[in-house]
Amino acid sequence: MSPTDTTPGEGSPQAEAPATMLGEVKRLRGEARSTRHAYWLPLVLFGLVIGGSAPFYVVPAPSGQTVVIGVSGATFPGFSPLLGGQPAGIVYWLLAIGAGLYLTSVWYRRHGRRVGLTTPARGFVIAGIIAGALLLVLPAVQFLPEDLVVRGTLPFLIVAAALWVLAHAERSTALAVIAAVFTATSLLASLYNVENVVFRLGWIPTGNEWRLTTLPNIFLPALVLLASGAGAYVAQRRKRVAA
Amino acid sequence: MMAAHPTRGLDETVHQRHRLGILTITSEADSADFGYLRDALELTPGNLSRHLTVLEEAGLVQVWKGYEGRRPRTWVKITAEGRAALTAEVAALTELVRRHNGMSSAKPIG
Repeated sequence: MSPTDTTPGEGSPQAEAPATMLGEVKRLRGEARSTRHAYWLPLVLFGLVIGGSAPFYVVPAPSGQTVVIGVSGATFPGFSPLLGGQPAGIVYWLLAIGAGLYLTSVWYRRHGRRVGLTTPARGFVIAGIIAGALLLVLPAVQFLPEDLVVRGTLPFLIVAAALWVLAHAERSTALAVIAAVFTATSLLASLYNVENVVFRLGWIPTGNEWRLTTLPNIFLPALVLLASGAGAYVAQRRKRVAA
Repeated sequence: MMAAHPTRGLDETVHQRHRLGILTITSEADSADFGYLRDALELTPGNLSRHLTVLEEAGLVQVWKGYEGRRPRTWVKITAEGRAALTAEVAALTELVRRHNGMSSAKPIG
């Protein structure tokens, strides 16, 4: 269809059938949302950030004859130094989340300029900063139950909070579902030893492998984000090619 | 007292296919590029400009020009008034459709 040349004065209340106009509104809204969606990158980015934190969660080698097995507060880097976390782990999380939020805002600015529709990504960054500040402060004032902080996986919840805000900004039901699954997985990783499930699946750690038994708690949420990000990339690319 | 007919909720400025389209698209984003609006609404640049002027003069959108490198770009952002007008228009259209469907189903057969 060629571009229409209409005069702005046209269009009395009777000019268009209401159902046709509503259909047009729905179509344009759907197209705009589809064009604007670019959440595959933050999903992959934060999946890598979480996966990259794995070295900080390896159980330290025993210093004496006593072998530390399983999960204890001391073996996990808590987000707050008051939790006895490793300073390197805390620095990693602060830098990685800060960089992730910054890169995401840059990504949305570039994507918006490229496709011609910008997404308000400020809320995503602000939510990440607020959630980060809260999670930095709340454990220090013992506002959160110990069960939630003992495994040091609270930073996952910062990512979860930011994803919820992003789902709202993107007006994406799919991203809201991903955020819900990720939040549930993050809570699971904070409250339960996922290694127990892996043991039931047949992994019997021997020797030094015990030091890695904490990692399923890290890799499960990372996997959720990476798989969702890959799926979103394929879906968004397909839509663009089809358009 | 009888409820006002939904056509009373229709605003001449907004109740026009392309202007309603502009408000719909800009309500879905922080801001929309002139080129995107032109392509999505299949309008000529001149016509889109005229529709934008009507909406801007009514205070329903803000239009500003900027540069990306050396390339000039025009961006359009919906205002709070524009958002309210779009909501009112969609509500009025929905009510009209609802009434029309109600009347159609109430028609005697034969």
